[in-house]
Amino acid sequence: MKRPGRYAAGAAVAGVPLALAVLGPFFVGEPGARAASFTPGGGHWLGTDFVGRDVLDQVLLGGRPVVLVALAATALAYLVALPVGLVSALTHRRWLEETLMRPLDVLLAVPSLLMLLLVAAAFPPGAVGLALLVALVSVPDAARIVRAAAAEAASRPAVEALRMQGESWWRLAVGYVGRSILRTLAADAGIRLTGALYLVATAAFLGIGVAPDASDWAVMVDRNRAGLFIQPWAVVVPALLIVALTMGSNLLVDAAMEHRAPAGRTPRDRVRSEPAPRAPVPPRKGRRP
Amino acid sequence: MKQDPVLADIDGLTVEVDGQVLVDRVGLRIRPGTVTALVGASGSGKTTTGLALLGEYPAGARVTGEVVVHGRIGFIPQHPASVLNPARRVGALLRDMARQQVRDLPRTRRRAAARQRVAEALADAQLPDAAELLRRYPHQLSGGQQQRVVLAQALLLGARVLVADEPTTGQDALTKRRVVDQLASVARRGIAVLLLSHDLDVVRELADEVVVMRGGRVVEKGPAHKVLENPVHPWTRELLAEPRTVPYAEEGRAGTEVLRVDGLVAHHGAGGSRVPVLRVAGLTLRTGECLAVVGRSGSGKTTLARCLAGLHRDHRGQVLLDGEPLPRSLRDRSREQLAAVQYVFQDARAAFDGHRPVLDQVARTAVRLRGAGREEATAEARRTLADLGLGDDLVRRLPGLLSGGELQRAALARALLARPRVLVCDEITSGLDPVTRRSLLDLLTVLVRQRDGLCVVLITHDLDTAAPATRIAVLDGGEVVEVGDREQILTAPRHPFTVALLRASTRRGSAVRP
Repeated sequence: MKRPGRYAAGAAVAGVPLALAVLGPFFVGEPGARAASFTPGGGHWLGTDFVGRDVLDQVLLGGRPVVLVALAATALAYLVALPVGLVSALTHRRWLEETLMRPLDVLLAVPSLLMLLLVAAAFPPGAVGLALLVALVSVPDAARIVRAAAAEAASRPAVEALRMQGESWWRLAVGYVGRSILRTLAADAGIRLTGALYLVATAAFLGIGVAPDASDWAVMVDRNRAGLFIQPWAVVVPALLIVALTMGSNLLVDAAMEHRAPAGRTPRDRVRSEPAPRAPVPPRKGRRP
Repeated sequence: MKQDPVLADIDGLTVEVDGQVLVDRVGLRIRPGTVTALVGASGSGKTTTGLALLGEYPAGARVTGEVVVHGRIGFIPQHPASVLNPARRVGALLRDMARQQVRDLPRTRRRAAARQRVAEALADAQLPDAAELLRRYPHQLSGGQQQRVVLAQALLLGARVLVADEPTTGQDALTKRRVVDQLASVARRGIAVLLLSHDLDVVRELADEVVVMRGGRVVEKGPAHKVLENPVHPWTRELLAEPRTVPYAEEGRAGTEVLRVDGLVAHHGAGGSRVPVLRVAGLTLRTGECLAVVGRSGSGKTTLARCLAGLHRDHRGQVLLDGEPLPRSLRDRSREQLAAVQYVFQDARAAFDGHRPVLDQVARTAVRLRGAGREEATAEARRTLADLGLGDDLVRRLPGLLSGGELQRAALARALLARPRVLVCDEITSGLDPVTRRSLLDLLTVLVRQRDGLCVVLITHDLDTAAPATRIAVLDGGEVVEVGDREQILTAPRHPFTVALLRASTRRGSAVRP
């Protein structure tokens, strides 16, 4: 069995940065006196950063904004994308579908980073504003995925059968269609989260939505770049944590999908045979569930 | 060697999954140029045995016994589209395979040689207009063409044994004819065919050897003429029993008019490519009768059924219930109107939500359409399901754990809970084996006779299924070419198409007798 292994790998890789982000702030001691910039050692496990703060403390503090904003942005994006996608997939009114989806297509055409920079230049956002912005640029993609997945589910006879039973729209959309597309959505949410992390980190790196000396992994990477060759930990550790978070969440989603995949597609090594039935296997042309 | 060499030999094959025996000590021998038919109801282990030749077993299976195979095996699955890469053109799919085989030729000659091989394989698979077909994607082909492309792939690979899984299920009489010819020509070329089928007409025509399976065991095997003409085992006899001829509805009980179709023209497609696919000037349904609608696939019979049920909105003309026009879309129909006309889908499995127990889904009809309470509805659902032969422990399961026949009964129960006045059954028996089909049709008979005033519209491509109906409507190319009492249609058909349809059925040896 390979599945627990994949879960474990995903959980381990994503677990460290997540735990740091959630629990880290509780372990931070009193901010001590500032030391010299970019000193390795000297009572600081990971040295000091560009303004002489303890890097370990910064690492412990800096996860929360990145993770929270990314998670909030993903959740927000789905909050909008789900109803929009479901309604436009289930309606038979062409104009309604067009009204809902067309504006999103326009949004899709604008590069997300450009949009982020433009809006941030006009209205400098805080953390909440950043979450809203990232959510806004994720909505078109998410809505299209929801609509495409839901349209397939909505064309199944089961939906017609439910209509034949006089079921309410809510039961149809959420109870059946929503449930059927859960796997696709779970996979997409993973990708969406990765994308949100990327955007949030990039925004922080570019100084959007955060103070220049904020405790934030992405800001750390940016600000401590100058001392990369003197005190690499101040860059390497937060960068690795961001990478681990993205990779781990993707692995987790993958494993979850695998777990939900229908049986019957298991590798052949699970077939035990005694004595082995030997048939030369032709190029595989198909299998039945 | 005195006899032909054996191409494949299965000996004492047992396949178990989670302690459940799918196939129990099955033995089989396949010789070149012969057609061996594995016959049995669904779930009898035919497919498991057939796939064993390919070295494929269900997930987590425990396999004992021996499977020896000489040469390559080709497989034509029941749904051929599932093995054709939808993103590549047919030509590319075939050339990829051919290219593997011409590797040792000089580079300059490879292309031509590959092309040559593809052309030969297509010709052998009886695919006309090959050049045009190679440019298409698999989804642009008909089911029959897809089947032949898969066959061409198998031939291209030099398969010496061909496993065909239910190649004629759900096909109309004329299409079946072509599949039979095609498999016969494959066998003539010295390829052994293992036919997995519950279509006895096809088995009668093709098989040299017949192996009858039940519950994973071989109950009878031998030369086709012996097994089919003098079956020894009682199960074989039941399988071979003649189709029913006793009418579904009691004669002369047809009462007042319930539903009338008036000047109906239905369209498919959207925008500029909207084409009319069905024209029905007038059709009447009376209480207590069973109207069969017969026609080939694509003749518009399902569209007619869907118009009645409100599932096909794009039509002109009217469907009147008790003289009142029904809204075109079922979304606009009132509860009473929805309840009055109920529809049973062809693919019962796809028509159930895989995540909820069958009983709950069936009970919802009474809750939504008749305003029954939850408890009351569940009790009634349980009773109705029990009447249709589905026990309590069975219906508490998820749909995935029920067989096709069981699900189709559950689907009937779901529609019946609305206490409908018109029950539209769309090909509900296609894809079922003869025994299951017969029992489902027997149930339908009981329903028509017991439920007062229920009238059934039976959509089917199978004349045997249509024959016991009160009246038969024959559809061809979207037009009703003939409507009449069963006696008249079966004995004195007026329209040439009806005559052709009757002839195609009787030539295959099935019993269409009034």
